[in-house]
Amino acid sequence: MADDEFRQQALQHLDALHNLAVYLTRNGSEAEDLVQETYVRAMRFSHRFQPGTHLRAWLFQILRNTFLTFYRLRERESALSEDGVPESEAPMFHDAPSRDSESAGAHMDLDRALTKLPEEFKTPLLLAEVEGLALEDVARIMDCPVGTVKSRIFRAKERLRGFLKDYQ
Amino acid sequence: MTTEQTNGPEDDGGMGRLLRERLTRHPAPAMLRATVREALEPRAARQPWWMLWGAPAATAIATALVMLLWIAPSLPSAPATDPAQLVVRAVLADHARNIFWGETRTDVVPAALPRAMAESGVALNWVFTGDEDIQLINAKATYLEGRRGIELAYQDSAGHTVTYVIVPGGSVILPERGRVQIDRWKPVVRKENGFSLIIWRQQNLLCVLASDLVSDEDLGRFKQYFVKVRSSTDPYVTY
Repeated sequence: MADDEFRQQALQHLDALHNLAVYLTRNGSEAEDLVQETYVRAMRFSHRFQPGTHLRAWLFQILRNTFLTFYRLRERESALSEDGVPESEAPMFHDAPSRDSESAGAHMDLDRALTKLPEEFKTPLLLAEVEGLALEDVARIMDCPVGTVKSRIFRAKERLRGFLKDYQ
Repeated sequence: MTTEQTNGPEDDGGMGRLLRERLTRHPAPAMLRATVREALEPRAARQPWWMLWGAPAATAIATALVMLLWIAPSLPSAPATDPAQLVVRAVLADHARNIFWGETRTDVVPAALPRAMAESGVALNWVFTGDEDIQLINAKATYLEGRRGIELAYQDSAGHTVTYVIVPGGSVILPERGRVQIDRWKPVVRKENGFSLIIWRQQNLLCVLASDLVSDEDLGRFKQYFVKVRSSTDPYVTY
């Protein structure tokens, strides 16, 4: 794919990338930085993109990897167990909602509820349900099996329902 | 592209529909759109970087130097720590440099390896040069905490950089805490400053593998990379 064509097609997904970036970073300026970095990397590695494959999914994958690489460093690391390996069942990066915040869930709107989800739940939920990506594409972006994606989306919805139980 | 959707209103209580219909969308601001568009322009069409950043950078450096001269004498000195920890921190600093400024130079690796071995004093009987998952992209001599050694940089198919540093270990003793069984070895696995580290002793050498693969799934991949380099690299000190 020619550079010009690649550039034009990549720009068509700017709004969707920015939307995901906002929900990941929960910060407008960081979201903009993340999107810019995503495009810079996409151009740098554009030779690796295989024409005919899903450009939108490829850009989402770069955005998520960039987020995990750079922006997550600012957040608290997940606790390590005695053997130095993170607990597999614990959310990977974010804290679970506290009791106080759960009790405030009655008044929580959908946006705020979504930001409380751990990244590994929030991203597949947004990609599949809001952006309409196929589960296979989401699995590629998340670098995990399709079954894991389904499970995470299911659990994400369960948690959202919990946050919103008195809101709807 | 397949169009399988995860759930419908009938089996998830309408949560998917609720998200599609009620969730606030955040379209890119006009300023961001313009910035991205400009960033994607071919390089020749843009101003040289030094015209944009030259003056602010020079000012920042001058200010930083003045502040350093003014503040440095009153700074407390860092407490002494164990040799392994000092080396690990130095490796992380190198790894960060590899991430930010590393270049893919696969074509020069075969030439760089003998030179790196000669300069570092760490020779490699065998070296893992890569496979379909991860490729050796650079090799150079390094100097960490008074130890001359060799640094190999790899890049995996997802674009993650993995830095492999081998320095003389001398009397460095690795802690028992944090040891994890990986294949037939039991190295120390640790997370520090947002990076994953695998540290082990090999004969009289201290070896450190650093990466930004930190999530549960990524850590599994990182351990596979460890097995590859550990089983296919045989270093020894020549000085």
